[in-house]
Amino acid sequence: MMNLPKLKFKSKLALFNALSKIIIVTALLFIVPWIVGEITIRDTDDLLIRKLDQVIELVDSLGIDEYINMDAEIKAFGSYNILKEEFIAIEQLDKDTSIDVIEYSQRIIDNELVEYRVLSYSIVKNGNSYLIEIGRSITTINRFEQNLKRFAFLFLLLIILITFIADVSFIQYLLNPFEQIVKKLKNTNHPSSFDYTTVNTKTHDFAYLDETIQGLMHKIEDAFNNEREYISNVSHELLTPISIIQSKLDNILSDKTIPDTDLLKIMDSKHTLGRLTKMVRTLLMMSRIENEEYLLTEKVNLNTIVNNVAEEIEDKIEAKELELKISLNNSIQAINGNENLLFILIYNLINNAIRYTQKGYIKIETALVNQRVVLIVSDTGIGILPENLPHIFSRFRNFSNQKDSFGLGLALAKKICDYHKIEIEVTSKIDQGTAFTLTFKK
Amino acid sequence: MRVLIVEDEKGLAAEIKEFLVKEEFNCDLALTGKEASDLIAINPYDFILLDIGLPDYNGLDLIKEAKRSNSEAYFIVITARGELEDKIKGFDLGADDYLAKPFSLLELLSRIQAITRRKFGHQSSIIQFGNFALDTIKKHLEFDNKAIDLTKKEYKLLSYLVLNKNRVLDRLQLTEHIWGEFYEDDYDSNYIDVHIKNIRKKLSEFDETNWIKTVRGIGYKFEIE
Repeated sequence: MMNLPKLKFKSKLALFNALSKIIIVTALLFIVPWIVGEITIRDTDDLLIRKLDQVIELVDSLGIDEYINMDAEIKAFGSYNILKEEFIAIEQLDKDTSIDVIEYSQRIIDNELVEYRVLSYSIVKNGNSYLIEIGRSITTINRFEQNLKRFAFLFLLLIILITFIADVSFIQYLLNPFEQIVKKLKNTNHPSSFDYTTVNTKTHDFAYLDETIQGLMHKIEDAFNNEREYISNVSHELLTPISIIQSKLDNILSDKTIPDTDLLKIMDSKHTLGRLTKMVRTLLMMSRIENEEYLLTEKVNLNTIVNNVAEEIEDKIEAKELELKISLNNSIQAINGNENLLFILIYNLINNAIRYTQKGYIKIETALVNQRVVLIVSDTGIGILPENLPHIFSRFRNFSNQKDSFGLGLALAKKICDYHKIEIEVTSKIDQGTAFTLTFKK
Repeated sequence: MRVLIVEDEKGLAAEIKEFLVKEEFNCDLALTGKEASDLIAINPYDFILLDIGLPDYNGLDLIKEAKRSNSEAYFIVITARGELEDKIKGFDLGADDYLAKPFSLLELLSRIQAITRRKFGHQSSIIQFGNFALDTIKKHLEFDNKAIDLTKKEYKLLSYLVLNKNRVLDRLQLTEHIWGEFYEDDYDSNYIDVHIKNIRKKLSEFDETNWIKTVRGIGYKFEIE
């Protein structure tokens, strides 16, 4: 199968229309000259017959003697105009024969051979037979035929042009609702942002398509909301039992008679419970972001957040004997967003960088690129395998053997970015480091 | 000190009560908003611990009610939602602090103590150990009137240990107190050790006493007679 380029539906229709018209025109190119020829001959013949009638009328009223001198040796009459376009001739026939034909024939007039269409007709007058010949020169006929042909072609061309334009605009008009439906789908990056207004169309198929898509979007939205609510409810409901267990463990720990071995086991349980708590809280926060429960109306200074995060995370940098490099552009403008979420976003990115960096430095930069605020968190850590790069923002993906991480930090970071419409990009080289680039919207 | 615990979750309410009774608080328990409303109307409380998510009562309404009959009471709002909006509303209505579920009972105690210190003013705001003086209002540490430079976290950690003196604080309780509800991915409480090491170093420059004892496998204890 040949690989044809994919064309738009309307282009295909227009192409088909144009092709069919070309076929028709080619056919007409062969037929029209023939028709025109036929028409001209018939026209010429009619003209000749009409002239014959006039001549007969004249002969009847004026008498044949008016044209033919009975005493002359040559009993004939001839008349032609100087351009030799036409001639009329009357001559006496020797024999009594009846002639009535129209044919092409050549005549010599003034020593010039001219091609004529000639009508020959015999009449009987005063007991004699006469032959009347009326001729029209082929050149004249051809000129007329040429004119007719030219006109016919022009007319044809005009018709084709008009119908083609009409076709294209009609197809465009017909397909307009379809394009609107596609546009609506394209503008939908979240089921809740789908535009449910009905597309205005009188075409049943498109109305049906629109209706079907709307139904589908409703279903998707419901499923989406259910899942969202489910996560939110589950997380919420989990926090109370966790709280009970934690309080019980706290009360047990405050009993001073418990042997050390049991204390350690309880500590272990507390540790596990702590992990569970963080996990549930993170999931809950993610579902709250999905529910758009956070306001994005705060004016946030990114540099201040970076400094706060740096202060907060200082001890981790110190504990791993890393260096924290901070390079801030003071001319960046304040961003509209949620300060708490942005703090968590930057904290998680830096925390993640620290976790995967054993030696070297973590670098945080803010800059202005094309008038947009950019924040880069880079490290000199172990890097991410190229095949893992597309999955680093997925929930519960953990590509290292780190036991104390459960793979929600970057998923949460991505959620916060999406919520703020921040573009997040990752580049990484194994054993050289990873860089996260955040580009804020204008 | 009289405390009212308003919590619809029986198991949790019982644990809070058990803990606070051990800490010599006089505790009443209300498992529904209606019960709480009745108790508030007749008893004077110093503290009201209120779970905002009561099934039968709007927790915020309960605060309004209590403010009328128990104007001296302090409120600590407990929430499973931790929602920002509830937080703000709670503070507007006069809640003095809030705790998101799950919280450690020790953290609850330390919040109560903090409010108490605020309530009773300056006389109890300075805690002495050896020649050190910890000022919980100004949030700094002195040795013979000489200020000791502590980072924010070091101060927080030390004061938490000092305020809960002679009690073993496990690493998780310390982590929770310092980092709060941080949404960090990992759950590594070993950074506490780094801070303790630094605090010990700073204290040892002035005093040979080993104030902070390590309790193996569990955490730390601030020892003072």
